[in-house]
Amino acid sequence: MSELEALPHYVDSTRLERFVNYELVGKSALRVQRWRDQWKLKRKKPRPESPLNPPLQCVAYMKEIMSRHYLEGRYASGTRKVAWVTSGAPTEPLQALGYFLVYPENHAALCGVRRQAQSIAEEAEHAGWSRDICSYARTDIGAMLSGKTPAGRLPRPDMLICCTNICQTVLHWYRVLADYFDCPLVLIDTPFLYQEAHDHEKIEDMIHVAEEIAGLPLDQARFAEVMQNARRGAELWLDVLNRSQNRPAPMTAFDGFIHMGPIVDMRGESVTVEYYQRMLRELDARVARGVGAIKNERYRVLWDNLPIWFKIGEFSKWLGEHGVNVVASTYTYAWGELAPMIDPENPLDSMARVYLHPILNRSTGHKLQSMKKMVDEFQLDGVILHSDRSCKPYSLGQIDQRDRLSKTLGVPALLLEADHNDPRDYSDEQGANRLEAFIEMMEARA
Amino acid sequence: MPIHYPRAMLRAHRLHPIEIWGPPHVARHEGNRHFQTYACDIVVKAMAFIRSGGIDATRAILVPHTCDALQGMGSVLTDFVRPHQRVLTLYLPRGRRNSDRDFLRDELGRLAQTLVGVGGHEPTAADWAEAFEAEDAADAALANLYRRRTELAISDRDFYTVVRSREYLTAENFCERAATLPEGEAPRHGAGLMISGIVADPLELFDRIDEMGAHVAGDDLACGYRRVYSPSNEHDPLLRTVNRLMSCPPDPTCGTPIHERVETLQNRMRALGAKGLLIYDPKFCEPELFDVPLLRKHLNAAGFPVLHVEHEMGEALPHQVLSRIEAFVETLS
Repeated sequence: MSELEALPHYVDSTRLERFVNYELVGKSALRVQRWRDQWKLKRKKPRPESPLNPPLQCVAYMKEIMSRHYLEGRYASGTRKVAWVTSGAPTEPLQALGYFLVYPENHAALCGVRRQAQSIAEEAEHAGWSRDICSYARTDIGAMLSGKTPAGRLPRPDMLICCTNICQTVLHWYRVLADYFDCPLVLIDTPFLYQEAHDHEKIEDMIHVAEEIAGLPLDQARFAEVMQNARRGAELWLDVLNRSQNRPAPMTAFDGFIHMGPIVDMRGESVTVEYYQRMLRELDARVARGVGAIKNERYRVLWDNLPIWFKIGEFSKWLGEHGVNVVASTYTYAWGELAPMIDPENPLDSMARVYLHPILNRSTGHKLQSMKKMVDEFQLDGVILHSDRSCKPYSLGQIDQRDRLSKTLGVPALLLEADHNDPRDYSDEQGANRLEAFIEMMEARA
Repeated sequence: MPIHYPRAMLRAHRLHPIEIWGPPHVARHEGNRHFQTYACDIVVKAMAFIRSGGIDATRAILVPHTCDALQGMGSVLTDFVRPHQRVLTLYLPRGRRNSDRDFLRDELGRLAQTLVGVGGHEPTAADWAEAFEAEDAADAALANLYRRRTELAISDRDFYTVVRSREYLTAENFCERAATLPEGEAPRHGAGLMISGIVADPLELFDRIDEMGAHVAGDDLACGYRRVYSPSNEHDPLLRTVNRLMSCPPDPTCGTPIHERVETLQNRMRALGAKGLLIYDPKFCEPELFDVPLLRKHLNAAGFPVLHVEHEMGEALPHQVLSRIEAFVETLS
């Protein structure tokens, strides 16, 4: 039996199935759902006992966009070419070639938010993958082996694109996927920037393979359009995040974690540009009215590293009750801060520059400088460094970063031990104790 | 630091490498001041060793980009610890395409420039030739040791003591040591094991395997066979170094596809008469951990049982680890 035969949940769809289930029924149903959500949000009265103000209205659109993306994915195999890509991969040429893109990391985060990650990751653990490897990888390998997913069904990849600008873990993870799916794995190898950049990336190699699999050449006009959208989307996302420089901040970093879906999964698409334009309008209206994400913003805090997906709602509320607004995050910023580097007139060179420079591909000292800059620009009172057991490139260096922040800048900084997707690696009691001590440190400094 | 680096280049610059693979008799606590508990022992103990003055006599610390943990170590050393030695980094591409070769050549050129400042010597053509001659001879001596393993009348522990002496001896001293090993039938008994992983520490492990009634037929260790490089006759010293580094046997840290690794392991296990594979990893080694289930699956299908054990690097072997290996050896027998 081949590896693929061992994964019976990866089935092809026909064009008719796609048309009926996605184009005809699915999209309409999701639109109706969005109308219902909007109606509910508009009528939602502020609850006096809640530390949070009502959520952003645009969340209903975001749910529709992301649900539509995953619904289309269910019927992509057999009707479109599919690429599975890492979150930092240069995907613009693939979009221009008409590929449907699956971001396994985003899918794993979805499992985390829905609190299904542990049970799915256990499928991988039962098959022999260690609990010491990244919980995103375990979640997705578990989903691949079992077919369990809150997205209904994921399409089988025709190619895999692995860009090492976020970690080396993805290389090992995608080698596993390549072994199961027996499809081409294109490696975009980005040298880690201890200091200055060296050229290495050969995005052209990826384009050649993608063209061959798609059976058509890259349409330069469409590519230029995607690049324009990618730049505009990233600029808008940066604007969205920077709105939290206002006091009170109109959104939290936890909102940012949720609303980053389109810029991660659909950057380069016009729907992403439209979505962040809408979100920006709503944030500007909040700023004009002086409405913050939390009702009593006493302390403004930076979050470093990935979120703890399964705790987003609880953290937001708990911190809000203590007057803490986590207004910024180094993680969400990563998808916006490089926007000025994107040059649609010079797509390949600028892509090489952009995809070489995400924060995760830069030194621990650079990350400290980024945090210091954000402390100033967002007028922050403290920094929470999520020591993420699953993400070593983000986490190693945090002990020194914390020490420098607190000793050099005098900014209270907390190292919070957890994991982005695995609840077994987070203790509520210890976490609450440490957060309370952190708040006391900020109080003492105020 | 592990694993792959340009030995001849260091020699041409009149520098002698001493490798650190999580040194024994070093407590983690100095390293824990910089790294979390989930960082691997090699990195944490190396940091502790550096901070406690263990390598004060050296001029530079070379951290090849082997994995996320070593990446973090190189970066923390450069940005925060700032030891008196120069901290040098080397990005090793994970592919084997022409673009990877070109990149590695440039990267090695950059390193060579830095080494001039470290060693205070700009190598001449004669220096390069002499360095390659010496280091190629040592590489060949290592390869020859593996080829002649069954004809060497030494225990597995003694064999790996010599193999690992390449981590600190000069090329000449290593060749001399390898050449003086007694010939004769290897004192081996019981089932043959192939041992895989990063580093088989402590060396006592080999004694204990022997006591269990088994022997090590071959290895796929990062500190061992994965560094049996093929010689190159390339004239340009940088390209010659590229050829050497890119000729290493399958290695997950180099991005070798899993099927290639499995195929090589199967062929070698058959050729060496190994009955099973013991994967012996330090804790938290992601490059190794990702491959384990697929190695197990494919090798089991080929008739080779697989045991995976993880260990914390220390002076003594945990009883639990030994018990598992013993049970595995019994099944092979």
